[in-house]
Order: sequence, then structure tokens, then C-alpha cells
Amino acid sequence: MTTGLEDRLRADMERFTADLRIPHGMAAKACVQVRRRRARLRVLTASAAAVVLVASAVAGAEASGAFSSTPAAPSATAKLTAYVVRHVETALAPAQVDNLIGYTRMVFPPGVALEPSPAGIGGPQGQRSAQTPWSVGSTVRWQYGDRWTLAAYSPGGQHVFDFGLRFSGDGGTVTAVLYESRTWWTAPGQPSGPPARSGCALGGTLQLSTGRGNGWPALIRAQLACGAFSVVGHQDVDGIDAIKIAGPVSGFTLWVNPATYLPVRMTIGPVSASFEWLAPTPANLAPLHLTVPAGFRQVPPPARP
Amino acid sequence: MEMEPSRPVAEIEQFLADRGNQLLRTAALLAGSKEGGEDLLQAALERLLRRWQTIEGDPEGYLRRTLYHLAADNWRRQGAWRRQLRLLRPGLDLAAPDPFADLELRDSLVRLLRQLPPRQRAAVVARYWEELSEAEAASVLDCSVGTVKSATARGLQRLRELSGGGHGGRDATARESAKEQTR
Repeated sequence: MTTGLEDRLRADMERFTADLRIPHGMAAKACVQVRRRRARLRVLTASAAAVVLVASAVAGAEASGAFSSTPAAPSATAKLTAYVVRHVETALAPAQVDNLIGYTRMVFPPGVALEPSPAGIGGPQGQRSAQTPWSVGSTVRWQYGDRWTLAAYSPGGQHVFDFGLRFSGDGGTVTAVLYESRTWWTAPGQPSGPPARSGCALGGTLQLSTGRGNGWPALIRAQLACGAFSVVGHQDVDGIDAIKIAGPVSGFTLWVNPATYLPVRMTIGPVSASFEWLAPTPANLAPLHLTVPAGFRQVPPPARP
Repeated sequence: MEMEPSRPVAEIEQFLADRGNQLLRTAALLAGSKEGGEDLLQAALERLLRRWQTIEGDPEGYLRRTLYHLAADNWRRQGAWRRQLRLLRPGLDLAAPDPFADLELRDSLVRLLRQLPPRQRAAVVARYWEELSEAEAASVLDCSVGTVKSATARGLQRLRELSGGGHGGRDATARESAKEQTR
């Protein structure tokens, strides 16, 4: 049975598509895309084969004692790693990355606690207990120039706190919004210096320096400068065929976008961080403005640890 | 094994010259916009090229099925895409040109069709645009005849509500879309 709605639907579909004509060269364009895809697959296959060959060669050389007397020429893997690391360091250089908003989402294993203070964010008096009100399962951090904000969520997804820093000249302001107590505080803040070069073994702590040119880009650059990284292949990360780089510290792995060489993911032991690098549009800058919800009471800031 | 794509390009060009406009019209209805339709058809063509040597018989059937499957895939991913787009290009929803901006299409059922959940929309396009039988639509959509029947009936009912300003409205559509995405 035909109804008026069905007739109208047919008529509307006919009218909407009436002037559509297939664009010229669509098959050729599809052909180009297929060729590009095949070329990418060839490169990946060749890279994987090269890695296998290099690994075999290294294993053979070690077995025959070839490394015992004369230093070996850099392997293909080492050259590839050096090339990739150089590009990542360039992509994360302050001149490049300071023009982008860094968005980082971190996921923590059970038992991690973070507490905001005027000096920054750290474990509450060194405790690591799931019972603390500062138990955190994930954080979302935005950084741009001399400003960053961080939202912390409990393992169950509840908003634990927001934290924001804004620097200007020699000083700045630190603000924290605490959701469980429905309070907030603000205090003077100062940017810290760049991370120490000696911090190659990350251990159980991650110290992100604040201020322009610092944060995650500085920490990753500092890690790369420690050396002993190795490109170990490609892996899909959120739809990106990312280059996987294994670090000297067990569990430290970095994935970078092959087009931009900017990090897309990093793991440090059980902690993982996902990165996005965004243009500083007004809408992208909005999360960098910390807002105190209505009805929250201002309290004095805690003492610096 | 994938085939060398250069040889069949001429054959596909000829095939598109014969059937391309009709397929593009279907793709535009499935995608909800003319530009989206071109992208959808382009993606389906790439799959066709990669499988050209293994396709037996008429390539149109393969291309049509691919169009429907890709459209459904895209819709399923829409939630994730929107979240990413919000981060990458916030405000996109506001800034994006309305493909139905033409005055004559503002109140068109095609615009309302875009608000249907994926399965309902595909079923409605298959049945009322392509004029496929329920069995043919089930084959293209890779589902049972019963699913085609229920999806078509619900899609029409929803269009009726939306066009008549009847019960449900935007929230109900959103709820239904969310349900569809989680299936």
C-alpha cells in the first residue's frame, strides 16, 4: 500500500539527487588511492623485512664474534631510529609545538592518587592508596604557552578536581577546584625550569615542568636525548598508522604520527598517555580557562609541601 | 592477492558512465549530502578496484552492497568522529555548511531522512529509492527480511512524526540513534 508520505519521500529523493552527475576521473582517482595504499604496504613490508634481516644479521654477528674486535657500521634499524628520533625532536621543539595546544589524556592503574597544591600536582604526602579522596583514574590536560589546565577523574569517572596555572611575567596564578568538598582556592604560582637532563630513568615519578616550551614536549625530548631508543615497527593508534619507538626504560614506549612526528601515545609502565596537538582556535582554547562552578566556596590554599 | 589497478580503470570508467549517476544518487541519499555521497562512492570504488579480479559477474551488486556497508560503518563511527572533531575542529557543527541550505529542501523529507538511525535510513533508501523488494534489500543490507520490514516501518513512522511535528521530536531521535549505535 502506498501512502502520501511514501510518494512524497520518493519525490523528495528524486528532487534532491536530480542534478547529481558523476565527477570526471573518479575511477582514475580511486586507482591512484589504491596505488598509494599498495605503496604504503610495500614500504611497511620492506621495513618489517629489513628489521628481521638486521636482527638476523646482528644475531649471526654476535654468534660469530664479529663485534668483538671492530665496531660495526650503524645498522639499518639504528639509522631509521636516528632519523625518526631527529624528526620527533624537531616536531617537539618549542618553536614548533608552542604554536599548538597540547591535549593529553592519561590513564592510571588502580592505587594512584594525585592532590593539587600551590606547588603543582603530586601524590598526597607520598601516599598511594585507593582509599584517599584524591584517588585518580584518569586526567585530561590542556597546555598552550604559559597556561595549562588539568581535570582529574576518579577510577569511577567522578570529577575529583580541576587545576589551572596561568603565568604572566615573573609570576602567575594557580587555581584548583575541588569537587568533593565543593570548594576552590587560588594561590600565586611560578613556572618551573626545564626538566633535568639526568632524569633518564623515569622510575615511578613524572615531573612535568611548566611554562612555555615545557610540559610533555620537554619531557619527551629529554627522554629521547637519553638515547637507546629503537624503532620497533608500526601500530594502529586510534586510526593512525603510528611509528612505535621503544625506550631504554622497560615499559617506556612512544608512538608518533608518521606524517607530523608528533607523539600520539606513550606508555610508561602501567600508565598510558594519549596526545593530540590542536590549532589554537578560540574553541580549542576554551578548556584552558578554568571555571569555578556556581555555589562552590573559596577556601585558603593548602600549604606548599 | 590485490590486483594491479591500472588495467580495469577503463572498464570501470565505462561502467561509471553507464551506472555512475544512479549510484551517486544512492550514495548521496545514504550519506545525507551530495559531497558525502561522492566520498562514499569514491571509497566504494577503491574497494571495487582492489577486488576487481575476484568479483564474479556484475560489479554493480558488489558496489551497491559496499556503499550500504560503508555508510553503515561511517554512521557507527559517527559518535567517535564527533568526539574527535570537537577536539580537532570545535564548532564544526555550527560552521559546517548545511547541505540542505537550499530553501526548497529545507522542509524536505530527505533532510529528515538524515536524522534516522543507520539501519532505518538504509532500509528506507533501499526500499523507496532503489525500489528493491524486501528480499533484495535484505541481501544488500546483509540482514534478514524481518529486519528490513521492521526497520522500514520504524523509519517511515519516524519520518511521519518528524515531518508532522508529531510525537517524539529531536530527543527521541537522539535516543533511537544512540540505541542503534550501541547494537
